[in-house]
Amino acid sequence: MLTLENLKEFGANVEEGVTRCLDDEEFYIDLVNSSISDSRIDELEELIAAGDFDKAFEVAHALKGMYGNISLTPLFKPVSEITEKLRRREQGDYSDLLNEAKAQKAKLVGIYNARN
Amino acid sequence: MSESVRNEKDNIRRLVLIVDDEQINRRLLGRIIEGEYDVIYAEDGEQALDLIRERQKTLSIILLDLIMPKIDGYELLNIIRDDHELSRIPVIVLTSERTAEVKSLQLGAADFIPKPYDMPEVILARVRRSIELAEDNIMISATETDTLSGLYTKKYFFQHCRRYDRYYPDVPMDAVAFNINRFHLINELNGRSYGDTVIAAVAAQLRRIISESEGIACRCDSDVFLMYIKHCDDYDSILNSITSGLNSAVGNSRIHLRMGVYRNCDKSADVEERFDRANFACNSLRVSYSTSFTIYDDTMRKRAIYAEKLIGDMDAGVANRQFKVYYQPKYNITGDEPVLSSAEALIRWDHPEYGFVHPASFIPLFEKNGLVHKLDQYVWKEVAVQMREWRDKFGITIPVSVNVSRLDIYDPELESMLLGLVKENGLEPYDYILEITESAYTDNSAQMTETVNKLREDGFRIEMDDFGSGYSSLNMLGSLYIDAMKLDMLFIQKMCEDAKGMKMIQLMIDIARFLNIPVVAEGVETQEQYDLLKKAGCDVIQGYYFSKPVPPEEFEKFIEAMIKQH
Repeated sequence: MLTLENLKEFGANVEEGVTRCLDDEEFYIDLVNSSISDSRIDELEELIAAGDFDKAFEVAHALKGMYGNISLTPLFKPVSEITEKLRRREQGDYSDLLNEAKAQKAKLVGIYNARN
Repeated sequence: MSESVRNEKDNIRRLVLIVDDEQINRRLLGRIIEGEYDVIYAEDGEQALDLIRERQKTLSIILLDLIMPKIDGYELLNIIRDDHELSRIPVIVLTSERTAEVKSLQLGAADFIPKPYDMPEVILARVRRSIELAEDNIMISATETDTLSGLYTKKYFFQHCRRYDRYYPDVPMDAVAFNINRFHLINELNGRSYGDTVIAAVAAQLRRIISESEGIACRCDSDVFLMYIKHCDDYDSILNSITSGLNSAVGNSRIHLRMGVYRNCDKSADVEERFDRANFACNSLRVSYSTSFTIYDDTMRKRAIYAEKLIGDMDAGVANRQFKVYYQPKYNITGDEPVLSSAEALIRWDHPEYGFVHPASFIPLFEKNGLVHKLDQYVWKEVAVQMREWRDKFGITIPVSVNVSRLDIYDPELESMLLGLVKENGLEPYDYILEITESAYTDNSAQMTETVNKLREDGFRIEMDDFGSGYSSLNMLGSLYIDAMKLDMLFIQKMCEDAKGMKMIQLMIDIARFLNIPVVAEGVETQEQYDLLKKAGCDVIQGYYFSKPVPPEEFEKFIEAMIKQH
């Protein structure tokens, strides 16, 4: 079970996230927990590799919304940048941003697993 | 959120639909608003559309994500906007894109909530405000529109006209007023629901016209419609197309419209005034069995203003003695020489602004609104005093006839008032002649008979005025006791035109002979008329042939001549 302390250490803007959840800390943790099982960063990587930028944009946009709302800033930042590049249908290299997102996700999963 | 704030308008818990393909976002937003609202969810546009259609009557607002699989938010906004029923439900767009906000608002979104979400209080305030605005809007629409016709109500119509003028100050516009001929009869003969069908069918035609001509329309009274449209010349076609559309819709070719058009409105006049003019033109059309229209011109308005001014000025006119009684001599022509037998008292108005006003300009107006009663009493009194003065001066009584309007007949004080007047002035009722127009006899002949008979018993003589212009039946004439018959002036004007005209005169004189009463001809102007009437057996003549109506001091010349004659 993740704690607010864990998430703060991870770099999440916990205060903002909890406020958005009407100060219900448990509910906030629950939302973050449900994002753990989300595998769409991998899906995003595949879509970019396949050149399906339309679909990739939709996925990146959804992830950006999700991470933004639960204030997981370390994930929100790279996903936001990917979203903006995809919006412009940029053909360039996404690997750094994808790797950053994946690393942050792995870090969060690591914290989550350590707590369970 | 406190209960009092949550339910500040009423106790209804409103229903909110959250549409977002992202489960975490749905849950988070749901948590924020579920304290105040009932919430349902859709995870894509397709599911949302099903829910919206299913719950359209109870749904208060939709919170809509834009980028979604299947039907996206933009498409859903389009569908909602184009559906008359769904478009009343406000939509708040959930988005992180500034550009999307503009596009969404253009597509009819009520507001937007930025992602990541604002403070919960801000989101709730936006939701609350959008719901209130939409509900207020529905309330306004309900009072804006007449339910039967679907057209604007009068009040909102005028507001929309003003707004149109603000946007298009230089576009020439026409104000048009319609009503349905004898609508009350249509209702009475066919039932109210048929009347409603006719109203709805007229409204449908007007909606068609305004959509073609870029205009606005309203139903302002039961069967009165107004339309504000771009100026056009061909109102014949407009009226014909409305009528034929109307007749085919209700299956009745006997429904006709009247239309008044105030073309190329003077925009410096109030909107209401412009439609007063159109209405004025419309009402100036006589009720007819055919569809017709008329174009307003300013003389109509001037006439109406003139009439109103006369009505408004009457009391002051009586108080300040602006009304003058003139006398026109009546001559008995049964002997070798015509002999002055009496006079008719006729009123003139020396108006401070308009100068001398002819009675034809104000008597019909005063008859319509009852003012004539007061004016008649004024004349009766003046005449009685004048007769006394002449009697005192010349030693003889000149009989004078006064007009008694149909309204006077219904005054229960009529008899006592007239008796009082003659008594006060030492006159005999016999010399005080009462002229009652023929058409008054047909209003309520029982009351008329009773009043006339009572006055005759008191000694007054009664002349039936304008004989031949009304619809007296022979039966009524037989039962009514009158002392003289006064032929309508129109017969005198036409008597020399052809043999038929003279025959009519002869016929009326024969009726008078049968009733054993004298015949008075008024409006006699020429020697030819005089000769023919004398030959036909007419007893008394009045008209310019002898003299126009003159002031009392001038009339004295006729009295003096008569005295010399004897």
